Amino acid sequence: MTRGARVVRLLAAGVLGVLIGLPQAQAALAPWSALAGKTVLFVTGGIRAPQPNDDARVARYLRKLGLRVRTVDARVSPSAAHGAALIVISSTANARVLGNKFAAAPIPIFTWNTFDYPNLGMTGATLHRDFDVIDPVQHYADSFAVLYGFGANITSEISRAVGLRPRLFGTLYLEPQTAGWGDPGPGGTVVTDFFGSRHYAGVFTYEREATLADGRTAPARRVGFYLGSDNFHLLTAVYGPAAQDPNLRRWAIGLKLFDAALRWALSPPPPEPIYDPRALDAALLKAARGKRLLYVERVNGGEGRHSDAHIVAHLRRLGFTVTVADQTAPQRIARGMDLIIISGTCSKWKLANKYIDVPVPLISLEGLLSDSLHFSGRKRYVDYGEHGELLESEDPPENYLDIVGAWSPMAAGLKPGLVKFTDHPGVLKWAWPLPDATVIATLPNEPREDAIFGYPKGARMAGGFIAPARRALLPLDNPSYDQMTAQGKALFDAVVLWALGR
Amino acid sequence: MHATSVRPLGVLAAGILLLTIGLPAAAGTGFPYRLMRRIALPATGVVHALLFDPQTRVIYVAQGHRIEGYSPAGKPLALHRRLGGTVSALARTQSGQIVAAVRAPAQLVFLSPRTLAVEHQRSLDSGRPAALLYDRTARMLFLESRSNGSIVRLDPLSGRPLGRVRILGALGQMAGNGRGTLYVTNTARNALEVIDARTMRRAGSIPLSRCHAPSGLAMDRVGRRLFVGCANGRALIVDADLGFTFVRLPLPGGPRLHAAFAFHPFGAHGWKGGAFFAGAKAVAGIQMQAFIRYRNHGQLPLPARCSALALAAPVGELWLALASAATGRPVIWVLGAGRSEAQ
Repeated sequence: MTRGARVVRLLAAGVLGVLIGLPQAQAALAPWSALAGKTVLFVTGGIRAPQPNDDARVARYLRKLGLRVRTVDARVSPSAAHGAALIVISSTANARVLGNKFAAAPIPIFTWNTFDYPNLGMTGATLHRDFDVIDPVQHYADSFAVLYGFGANITSEISRAVGLRPRLFGTLYLEPQTAGWGDPGPGGTVVTDFFGSRHYAGVFTYEREATLADGRTAPARRVGFYLGSDNFHLLTAVYGPAAQDPNLRRWAIGLKLFDAALRWALSPPPPEPIYDPRALDAALLKAARGKRLLYVERVNGGEGRHSDAHIVAHLRRLGFTVTVADQTAPQRIARGMDLIIISGTCSKWKLANKYIDVPVPLISLEGLLSDSLHFSGRKRYVDYGEHGELLESEDPPENYLDIVGAWSPMAAGLKPGLVKFTDHPGVLKWAWPLPDATVIATLPNEPREDAIFGYPKGARMAGGFIAPARRALLPLDNPSYDQMTAQGKALFDAVVLWALGR
Repeated sequence: MHATSVRPLGVLAAGILLLTIGLPAAAGTGFPYRLMRRIALPATGVVHALLFDPQTRVIYVAQGHRIEGYSPAGKPLALHRRLGGTVSALARTQSGQIVAAVRAPAQLVFLSPRTLAVEHQRSLDSGRPAALLYDRTARMLFLESRSNGSIVRLDPLSGRPLGRVRILGALGQMAGNGRGTLYVTNTARNALEVIDARTMRRAGSIPLSRCHAPSGLAMDRVGRRLFVGCANGRALIVDADLGFTFVRLPLPGGPRLHAAFAFHPFGAHGWKGGAFFAGAKAVAGIQMQAFIRYRNHGQLPLPARCSALALAAPVGELWLALASAATGRPVIWVLGAGRSEAQ
């Protein structure tokens, strides 16, 4: 074996490990025992902090968890974070004084300073639209509503750690409370939300390398949490005999969420994917070997016919045993398959709800299937749609994507920002998936129009549908495969490789 | 719990002196209720229990071996009974009977409320009785023995034991929720023990964070709040449904706190609800402003340790039995919102 081949094999093994071994490329949360002794820089309002506040309680709690806490006030120099494993920012710190001093810190940040979200790039800058703080003085009625959070995401590491379900839960103890929300960008992950909308995220995160709401890239993990200045001690929990009731246990999870989010912020992020098409190809060759793939197309389907043939040829070269089926074939042909790819040549109408519930990973190359496949809501051109389709779209043709989930292996190691997907502008489909999906790429200048995303197995999809296996959208219109750039093909391969994972 | 709790008692000797001169000012730090009357008991011996009758026309005072009945004004009612040992606790059952727990020899004595005549009695084999609790809603009678860490559920008519639970640690005051759950403070484990009163099995334990040696316990059964007094100077308010402590307030601490709760403890136009803790140095009030809002409402220094406490909400009075180290003769302080007799 040549040295080059060995390197490729090693890289391939690494890529495989990331893609298959670690679901969603999210490393497991580190146990507290592994985090003990780490230093936390706790940024508060210091002597200027509004009273009463829970900063002392939080500091005590962090110490109880085994962390070393260095409390500073908002005027601190950014260099104070040097050596810290985590920056925790209380809402008692004045966001105007904080400014953006920690925005570029390559250290995880856990914050409940809602007004500081824009400084950190975690939300847009407009109060009431991009973020807000509900309090019993200004918003008395809503201060009751924020006692109820919703499990928007059930598959994130934080969600799994607390057993979050797509139901309401008690955020804070039963009295009108102050709580903050933010509306993260597509690179963020909404874990919980308020008021029945993911726009009002109570707990949300950004993975390292994820694109922030302001277009910058997260230099380390970021967590926004709904706490107010004086209600840490009211984060819900249940003790005694009540803790034996599973419903109460799942209801009073405020403190558990805090712990899990804190632990997630402190845990090592997954390794940064590297753009290396050779290694990716090698990894896919290894993963595809012996796998059975069902390729569903409109057989002899006009303009996409050659493209379909070339996709199938590529898949066969990778080692898949490919069965090509017409869109009208019965769903039972999916039995025993390891992966299903639905071509953009398929007619949504003729496909007739097939393959929705098959417990086999599925990639749709057709974005207009997003409603029927439960990828998104059902309102065409609102929940899903397309750019560049003559007479069917008001948006011009497009051939670039904006990578917002560079941290994910589905991004093939491509850096955040614009990437040329196909050689020439053409039709690109999009959908707006639910918070359980990991969004890899959006259409340029359209942060709500997501072109590449994936739902892990068990994810909550539109209409409450639970993903029976991995699901992904990769927008390849009928003839587009032959026009894909090298980066576009890498994205294709990365999504296929991800879909094969667990 | 209905039967405001209790502790031993001794002889309340004849003269009860209503001091109308020289009453201390209602000079607590923010405590809104004043000392209305001070009743000096002529006999020596610790008062272990105070118990009002339902109409608050009689208060039963247990001091040493004796139980005596007095009017709310503090006048003796020619109602007394001497029992075979120190009376450690009193309770009143649904039938109106007075139940007295005698420490040694351990026995339960059922008395007529009108005459204090002994109607029947029953020997106990569950250690030295320390406290009684009658849950009027659940119609359950509980007897606590701190010497062997046990709580026995008794038939409220016969005193026959119906179930027993032993708990490791050191037990403090009990409270019941009226729906078959009994709570008791565990001073040694800084926790509230929860007991299924129907089966008399321990259902679990509620941790009391940063509360050391909890002893006093009272319950608001409507709001489902437990008020816990801790020796290290904290009062905790616990949501009984969740076991969740949602309020911590400063409190004059100390061991062996006595607690009581009532709605409108000092009349319809006063507090919505109030919990009171009395211990070695002071009595303190926690005002309930709403089911979700409480505040510490100051404290009133006490000249001696409080050995028993009874709250008579219908007449708006809080009675405290204070042990006097100087004379050995206890004093009863009657606090209320009315005018001090000194004024």
